[in-house]
Amino acid sequence: MEHAVRVAELRKTFDVAEREPGLKESVKSLIRRRTREVKAVDAISFDIASGEVVGFLGPNGAGKTTTLKMLSGLLYPTDGEARVLGHIPSKRERDFLRRITLVMGNRNQLQWDLPALDSYELNRAIYRIPREDFAPTRDELIELLDVGDLVRKPVRQLSLGERMKVEIVGSLLHRPQVLFLDAPTIGLDVTMQKRIRSFVADYNQRYGATVLLTSHYMADVEALCQRVIVIHHGSILFDGRLAELARTFTAHKTIEVALADGVRDLSAYGEITQRDGDVVTIRVPKVETARVTARLLAEQEVLDLNVEDPPIEDVIELVFAQERPEQRQE
Amino acid sequence: MNALRVTWLFFKVGVLNELQYRVNFVVQLFQSAIALTVGLVVLALVYSHTDELNGWSQPELVCVLGIQILMGGAIKTYIQPNMTRLIDDVREGKLDYALTKPEDAQVLVSVREVRIWQVVDLVSGSIVLGVGLSEISTGVGALDALAFAGALLLGGVMIYCFWLVIATVSFWVVNMWTVVELFDGVFQTGRWPVGIYPGWLRYSVTFLVPIAFAVTVPAEAVTSRLDWQTLVLAVGFAAVLFTFTRWFWRYGLRNYTGASA
Ligand SMILES: Nc1ncnc2c1ncn2[C@@H]1O[C@H](COP(=O)(O)OP(=O)(O)OP(=O)(O)O)[C@@H](O)[C@H]1O
Ligand SMILES: [Mg+2]
Repeated sequence: MEHAVRVAELRKTFDVAEREPGLKESVKSLIRRRTREVKAVDAISFDIASGEVVGFLGPNGAGKTTTLKMLSGLLYPTDGEARVLGHIPSKRERDFLRRITLVMGNRNQLQWDLPALDSYELNRAIYRIPREDFAPTRDELIELLDVGDLVRKPVRQLSLGERMKVEIVGSLLHRPQVLFLDAPTIGLDVTMQKRIRSFVADYNQRYGATVLLTSHYMADVEALCQRVIVIHHGSILFDGRLAELARTFTAHKTIEVALADGVRDLSAYGEITQRDGDVVTIRVPKVETARVTARLLAEQEVLDLNVEDPPIEDVIELVFAQERPEQRQE
Repeated sequence: MNALRVTWLFFKVGVLNELQYRVNFVVQLFQSAIALTVGLVVLALVYSHTDELNGWSQPELVCVLGIQILMGGAIKTYIQPNMTRLIDDVREGKLDYALTKPEDAQVLVSVREVRIWQVVDLVSGSIVLGVGLSEISTGVGALDALAFAGALLLGGVMIYCFWLVIATVSFWVVNMWTVVELFDGVFQTGRWPVGIYPGWLRYSVTFLVPIAFAVTVPAEAVTSRLDWQTLVLAVGFAAVLFTFTRWFWRYGLRNYTGASA
């Protein structure tokens, strides 16, 4: 399979100036600047096949944005190699830049005081999109995201969600083959999130585009990504199918049981995490799942029983709570 | 050339933007009128005591004033707004989008803004220059006019380079605003031919901040006192400065870290 993105041992360290608060300390720092190295991305490697939609997960400060910026040619890697569509991003070759896009949920790139349509014209010139391709693509995107009225209003008059939609139209006019979406649904309401989600899925289907998406909303990831890469403290903790994630990171499973004779104390079987009418949820260590299930079936009058992995939110919380690995301590 | 097309489109968009803030036009008119009046009054005062200053007659100095206003207008229409935006963008990490575009980044950061109301200065500078010229008995030859246009262009390029270097330094040094404010003050030295200044200052406003090339040299051309050596020096210095600036800008980009977001 052809690879759209290849990353090998990619690193980025930032030198950050550091000083104590206060006047005396600022004067001191004038004379001797103290800097500290922040390893934002620490030797990560992964490949993404073309046409794949991959979720890039990690807590705040994990290094997601830094990675996306390196992949789109904004930041020079400190070390290691990145290739996107066969290009080295930091060279910022035109052929490369014309085939990718970077959308950042908390930034806007459209002219603030003008209707988005004017900014689209600018992009047409910058990306050298032939007129006969431009209008159909624009109109199609406008229709897909249902922003026909919004693109005629000055951008500053749009709500956060409306602005995100017209931003997305603007960043896809050149029909990029690789999309780096950095928290595209941040701050949006549930309906709007769904809208953007289904749009991304649609775009991926239509054009076979490769998508690398970060989000703090698990719903985005569950809906869009077959595969997730989890990054934490700049290192990759997990790379695989979403369902695998739970299996790798939790030592527990949950058993949902409904009993024929209603309420009973089941705490002898494991930790009771929820009681919803007649349905009781029990958390048990993974290795004991089979044994506990068997015991339950033998000893109780079970109406219904379900063994499940814990909800993805809980898994992620668990993953994010992991300590910084020993060798990385400064 | 796509760069030209992009420049032109940004210009149009910039004008559209500015048209939304018509009040600025009135403010600009007012500012320009004050600046012009002050300039003329000072000139009148100086020449009420003397007939010539370092070999320059009063109408010739009116020409210098006109060119200084003209050049100042050009700087404030185009160069300064783009470069101050660049400094802001670097500090706030907003340069990101300009760098993901398949167009030369230097071109993009240099043409994104235009302050169209500064045209007032372009017009009033031209009028002052015209008035000054009309009082010079010798008139302006075709060659002088050509040299003037060339010198003006070279001067503009050098001022642009100066600004881009300053803006690029902001990749490392966060607070470049003091330098920006300093420029406005230093540019006022261009009101007078640099020959009147002591050596150290003269060299500073020639090679450090190329005001001499931007104002005095064109004024020399239009008053028929430009020698060819100066023109050659201007061409050479502009070429060297431009090459250095481009290299420095690219070097700076490698060090761009943006802001965390
Ligand atoms: N320009 C910069 N200068 C210094 N440090 C930076 C810079 N950009 C990022 N960092 C640091 O690098 C680390 C990773 O930041 P990054 O923005 O990649 O995180 P993230 O995973 O995108 O987080 P979030 O989910 O909050 O957006 C953080 O510790 C951050 O403080
Ligand atoms: Mg981020």
